Amino acid sequence: MSFLSKLLFKNKTQDIVSGNSDSILIKGDELRQSVDRIFGRSLFVRLVDTGSCNACENELSALSNPYYDLERFGIKFVASPKHADVIIVTGCLARNMLNPLLKTFENVPEPKFVITAGDCPETGGPFKDSYAVCGPVSKYLKVAMHIKGCPPEPEAIISGFLNFMDIVKISF
Amino acid sequence: MNKMKINANIIDSNDFARLATHVKESGRYLLGIAASDERLKGSGFKIRYFFGGKNLIDEYSVSLPAGDGSFQSISKICPAAKMYEREINDLFGLTPLGHPDLRPLMLYPENWDFSVHPLRKDYNNVIPEFRKYGDYKYKEVSGEGIFEVLVGPVHAGIIEPGHFRFSLAGEPVLQLEIRHFWKHKGIEKICEGKNFNEALNLVSKVSGDNNVNIAASYLEAVENLLNIEIPERAKHIRVILAELERIWNYVRDIAWIFMDIGFALPAQNLFALQEELMRLNKSLTGSRFMFNALIPSGVSVDFDSSKLFTIDNIIKKVEKAIKESEAFILNSSTVLDRLEFTGKINKKTAEELSLCGISARASGLFRDSRVEFPYLIYDKFNLKPALLESGDVFARTILRIKEILFSAKIVTELLFNLPEGKIITSYENTAEPYKYAVGNAETPRGNAFFYIMADGDGKIFRLKYIDPSFRIWPSIQYGVLGDIIADFPLINKSLNLSYSGNDM
Repeated sequence: MSFLSKLLFKNKTQDIVSGNSDSILIKGDELRQSVDRIFGRSLFVRLVDTGSCNACENELSALSNPYYDLERFGIKFVASPKHADVIIVTGCLARNMLNPLLKTFENVPEPKFVITAGDCPETGGPFKDSYAVCGPVSKYLKVAMHIKGCPPEPEAIISGFLNFMDIVKISF
Repeated sequence: MNKMKINANIIDSNDFARLATHVKESGRYLLGIAASDERLKGSGFKIRYFFGGKNLIDEYSVSLPAGDGSFQSISKICPAAKMYEREINDLFGLTPLGHPDLRPLMLYPENWDFSVHPLRKDYNNVIPEFRKYGDYKYKEVSGEGIFEVLVGPVHAGIIEPGHFRFSLAGEPVLQLEIRHFWKHKGIEKICEGKNFNEALNLVSKVSGDNNVNIAASYLEAVENLLNIEIPERAKHIRVILAELERIWNYVRDIAWIFMDIGFALPAQNLFALQEELMRLNKSLTGSRFMFNALIPSGVSVDFDSSKLFTIDNIIKKVEKAIKESEAFILNSSTVLDRLEFTGKINKKTAEELSLCGISARASGLFRDSRVEFPYLIYDKFNLKPALLESGDVFARTILRIKEILFSAKIVTELLFNLPEGKIITSYENTAEPYKYAVGNAETPRGNAFFYIMADGDGKIFRLKYIDPSFRIWPSIQYGVLGDIIADFPLINKSLNLSYSGNDM
């Protein structure tokens, strides 16, 4: 089919190679090497949204689009916490989400790490004074790293993973 | 500037329950119900019912004397009222008499003491201890060979939390029960006592991907309240940004529909397009989601000619890509096979639940706030949004395609007819105590409705926001009936509702 075969040869991923030395590909290469070395070539991530405004989820989804294509660095979002090495938490930790978050964390096999994405899980963001919010996440779980931003852009999340690798390197 | 007329009526709770039948038969539909605690003002609790019709909003306000903790439910006459009344029962502790289902909605018995109602003005900000206070009873379906599939709240994909219970007899779905409000953040409460600028930041975070349109609705209410007339150029820029948001939302939605029927290639093509649109957003406003682009009395971004050309170029690209995708859908039997007759929402159901936006227009119900309650400069266009009758995933997909092309036309028309002038005006932050105003805007999901009451100091006394997702979520429970469970993700994506906007 001509429409599909035309799409097949449209290489979008090229676009991010151009640019300065800070480009994603450079970061990506380092990331790939760390993931290979530390996590045996694959880092599996499970997302738990605990009360975001959905912008963070959009940016995390964007990591899989052809521009960023996170999986080429060995990082994959998985469907079950039982498959995961890391849970990535977004949102201000709504009271109703505390138990689901803790249960998800319980189900991740050791060694396990928690990364937060966005300002909300770190500080509560604009919702911190609410009766319905019981964050920040660090009150309940040991957080290895916070990725800042409201929401963090895809590049910031990739850089965040790279910083996370540095942290893990020290603890191993 | 507010061309829309609000017809205010004061009525007794018992009388209203009788009147509701008449209101509904006249073709008006429920836009929302807002309760507020006005005991300080001496008028007890108030419940305001807003019904919409062409160019008109009817308000019926019911007063409950301070000692009276109940009111007549209208859910049996007007099923759309069901969720609002449960919400009022939770947050205000006012009981809707005769309501068929009074289980707690956002205050979970698993962690909240139900005698504490946070939106009452005498709530003392003491948060109940986190422990189990009771059980939540799910509906039961029983019979030979019937089994249940429980999904969520934490889902397999990168999506927001919600709990879905399917009761199945073989493959077809017999019943779906949705439990939401996992993400309830209490935004309405934290807005109280904030000034209009501070609250804007909070309402933008109600549903991040629709924040421009939600802000447009909020600011319409605020600007009505404070009698601000914003400059023409600012109105035009607001519309351009709002339509750009609609375009990127729909491009993403169609991509997800492709993804869920196993066509990764056309999906990724559109995800790449979405990325380009989000980069455009960033180059225009400094934020990929255009956060903080709309501000009270105007906009914070201006366009020079180079930006206008950038927008024009990308719009042309979008039009081309979307037309190609449309041709692919219409010419591919494997795609049509999945989309047609799946997730059908009948017109009658759409009417009873007061649906809005794409979900209503796909079921043959004309609902578009840009036409019904014209705001900004939408009355200048002769808008005729498309209408389809079949109510299935196919209709919602095709409508999105038509809407993208439609929005692209609006943006292109405005780009080269942008009036000169200021983008912001000065205003005085004073409103009479207890004065209130409403705002409407058509988000990519449907009508966003704000009701804002000011206190005497230029701050918010009560803010009620109704997200289109709040109205549309219950309709999925009807859409999936008889379909197989594997079609659920597709049906869900074809409506693509916001969990965050619903849970607030």
